[in-house]
Amino acid sequence: MGFLITTLIFLVVGIIASLCVRICCNRGPSTNLLHLTLVITATICCWMMWAIVYIAQMNPLIVPILSETE
Amino acid sequence: MGESRGGGCCPPMDLMRSETMQLVQLIVPMESAHLTVSYLGDLGLVQFKDLNSEKSPFQRTYAAQIKRCGEMARKIRFFKDQMSKAEVLPKELLEKESDIDLDDVEVKLGELEAELVEINANNDKLQRSYNELMEYKLVLQKAGEFFSSAHRSATAQQREIESEDSQQAGDDLLESPLLQEKSVDSSKQVKLGFLTGLVPREKSMVFERILFRATRGNIFIRQTVIEEPVIDPSSGEKAEKNVFIVFYSGERAKSKILKICEAFGANRYPFSEDLGKQAQMITEVSGRLSELKTTIDAGLGHRNVLLQTIGDKFELWNLKVRKEKAIYHTLNMLSLDVTKKCLVAEGWSPVFASNEIQDALQRAAVDSNSQVGSIFQVLRTKESPPTYFRTNKFTSAIQEIVDAYGVAKYQEANPGVFTIVTFPFLFAVMFGDWGHGICILLATMYLILREKKLASQKLGDIMEMAFGGRYVILMMSLFSIYTGLIYNEFFSIPYPLFAPSAYDCRDASCSEATTIGLIKVRDTYPFGLDPVWHGTRSELPFLNSLKMKMSILLGVSQMNLGIIMSYFNARFFKSSVNIWFQFIPQMIFLNSLFGYLSVLIIIKWCTGSQADLYHVMIYMFLSPTDELGENQLFPHQKTVQLVLLFLALVSVPCMLLPKPFILKKQHEARHQGQSYAPLDETDESLHVETTGGSHGHEEFEFSEIFVHQLIHTIEFVLGAVSNTASYLRLWALSLAHSELSSVFYEKVLLLAWGYNNVFILIIGILVFIFATVGVLLVMETLSAFLHALRLHWVEFQNKFYEGDGYKFAPFTFIFTANEDE
Repeated sequence: MGFLITTLIFLVVGIIASLCVRICCNRGPSTNLLHLTLVITATICCWMMWAIVYIAQMNPLIVPILSETE
Repeated sequence: MGESRGGGCCPPMDLMRSETMQLVQLIVPMESAHLTVSYLGDLGLVQFKDLNSEKSPFQRTYAAQIKRCGEMARKIRFFKDQMSKAEVLPKELLEKESDIDLDDVEVKLGELEAELVEINANNDKLQRSYNELMEYKLVLQKAGEFFSSAHRSATAQQREIESEDSQQAGDDLLESPLLQEKSVDSSKQVKLGFLTGLVPREKSMVFERILFRATRGNIFIRQTVIEEPVIDPSSGEKAEKNVFIVFYSGERAKSKILKICEAFGANRYPFSEDLGKQAQMITEVSGRLSELKTTIDAGLGHRNVLLQTIGDKFELWNLKVRKEKAIYHTLNMLSLDVTKKCLVAEGWSPVFASNEIQDALQRAAVDSNSQVGSIFQVLRTKESPPTYFRTNKFTSAIQEIVDAYGVAKYQEANPGVFTIVTFPFLFAVMFGDWGHGICILLATMYLILREKKLASQKLGDIMEMAFGGRYVILMMSLFSIYTGLIYNEFFSIPYPLFAPSAYDCRDASCSEATTIGLIKVRDTYPFGLDPVWHGTRSELPFLNSLKMKMSILLGVSQMNLGIIMSYFNARFFKSSVNIWFQFIPQMIFLNSLFGYLSVLIIIKWCTGSQADLYHVMIYMFLSPTDELGENQLFPHQKTVQLVLLFLALVSVPCMLLPKPFILKKQHEARHQGQSYAPLDETDESLHVETTGGSHGHEEFEFSEIFVHQLIHTIEFVLGAVSNTASYLRLWALSLAHSELSSVFYEKVLLLAWGYNNVFILIIGILVFIFATVGVLLVMETLSAFLHALRLHWVEFQNKFYEGDGYKFAPFTFIFTANEDE
């Protein structure tokens, strides 16, 4: 549940970012495609990293064992 | 493969492929050649080919002009030297200075040089005389003191002489002859002469000793130290000297002493014993000294004025001479047409620049009042054009990084497009700490905000590199802040920024927290790593497992991206053999093994199964038909594994065998009617045959192609394993970074805090800051930069990049600041 919601948030942020980039630096179709590619790549990279760390903690096999001094 | 290209498979994207280049031929009439090259240089979009490469530099047409420019450049260097010695700064060049004629410049330079050299020579002479006079003055003063003291003691002695004391010290005895000399003038047979002068202090003892020995002890020498150093006339530098006076008898002794003085560089000056004459000499010398001083000052003033006038025009002349030299070098590359009325130029230029080039040619023809215009035509050739990417200040740094490995072949896919994002991202995976990220962000923001000012200054080597890469570092810092938030590390301290931690004690007493551990009671921590982990005993096993699997997942994704780029290349170059027998087997091989591993990782995480993935993978190969037992992650896993294994094994010969045979067939089909070569290739314009080595028919060695394909296959198959493992460096460096960071925090800062002493605290904070900046911000940054670079250059690019092109180097007047002629 939390996973899907946050994935949707990433998707929405990605779309907003590409729209912003299109609005503020609109310089011809080939350049726009480049900017779009960069934004999509960045979004996918960031999402992947977040998703990996999130999924790894969903069903943990190791639990935190506090150290003695606590 | 000739000039015509594919494309049209996907919409064009900036920076993805090189600009389309064309080989152009320009035919320029002689009178407008110089202006044409000058305007094309201003444009900066044509790379001229050297059509006279077999000629030596002296045989070329414009060798004399280049020599002229070389002479002028030498004079300009001489002026610069003189100006820096006199500390005159050249005036900054304004944007639009009026154009000046090279002949005028040459004449002016010649005149100014002659004048400057003359002034310098005169100055030197005057300075020398001045120094000599200074020395003479010192000699007069000091030697005068000898004589006056001698006179005083001699008059004192005279009173004692009557007492007939034979126990007199040697020098008194010797001094009284002086007095006797004065009174008994001419009737002596043995005349004592004396010489006065200056000798350098370090040689004075040796001087004295040698004089003594040479004259067998028959001299008397006195020396006085001069307190301040004196400027030596011959060398022009300050030296410590002593004034000496040597008394001798006889001509032979005199000549020996003279020679020894010369050998020691001791300057001699005439001195008269007469007190009145001495005083006169001193006043005369003083007078001449002050005269000389004013003359020298006037000379220096005149020289400074001259240097100022040079400084006003210096930059202008400098630029003009360099421009002209570049133009003549380029003109030397053009070939003279047989009728000797025009020059032919060949060069590469981007297709989009055709209009601008034709414009420039027009303007040059008009401005040089030539009757004939220049001709611009495009040649067809089989040569491979240079690669040209139009980059701005943001993308140029990344493009340079990619080019450092190898310049892209003409029109192949440019890895730089994705590197702009993935390089800072992989750096950040290894660097992940949002505190450090903020520090680097501040540093690079400073560089970016002071961009204009720093660009015009001359920075040191390291600063130059950091400044050139400022946008890359900006991206790196932004991504580092992101990954720092995900790893939840702020100078190694975690914060529950987004929600409380998901873990809590099993019961209210928390008795088992240190033995069995906490349990997960709430939802998963929504963004990043749970803050409870830091400092626990099971932190490392958990984090290591997480980061290793993350590295594999990221690595497999990037390698897949690389193989997909090779698909786009194959589509662009319309090579279906590459698609079917390279791209598809490669995808199948990589994904059926390591893609499957990635899927298993995700399934294990999602289901929380206890399966051991090492065993799953290893037994998939060793005993694929065995029962899986507790390593079962999803139903029908065994069948799936068998199928994948089969696909992987089949894809290897698919990569190896078909392609060489198909290429052979294609080659034969292409060159079936080879003996009937079309005739129209020969009546192209004048120089097509001589340009480059365009072979009419390529050689095809089957065995070479086969071996090449074998190497490629082995490299890919073995590389699939080794490259995937290589991505584990993402884990390794991130572990190192977080451990270093936590050590510095706990063992320096917390330790200093624990002493409750302000002094120790301050020292602790200083050590912490220095350690953080030196080790973590500088060393770790460089280290992570290097490893991310390696991952791109090797693991990503060897999937698709050939990188054997050459870079477009247009003729342009934008000189670097320290370019030598």
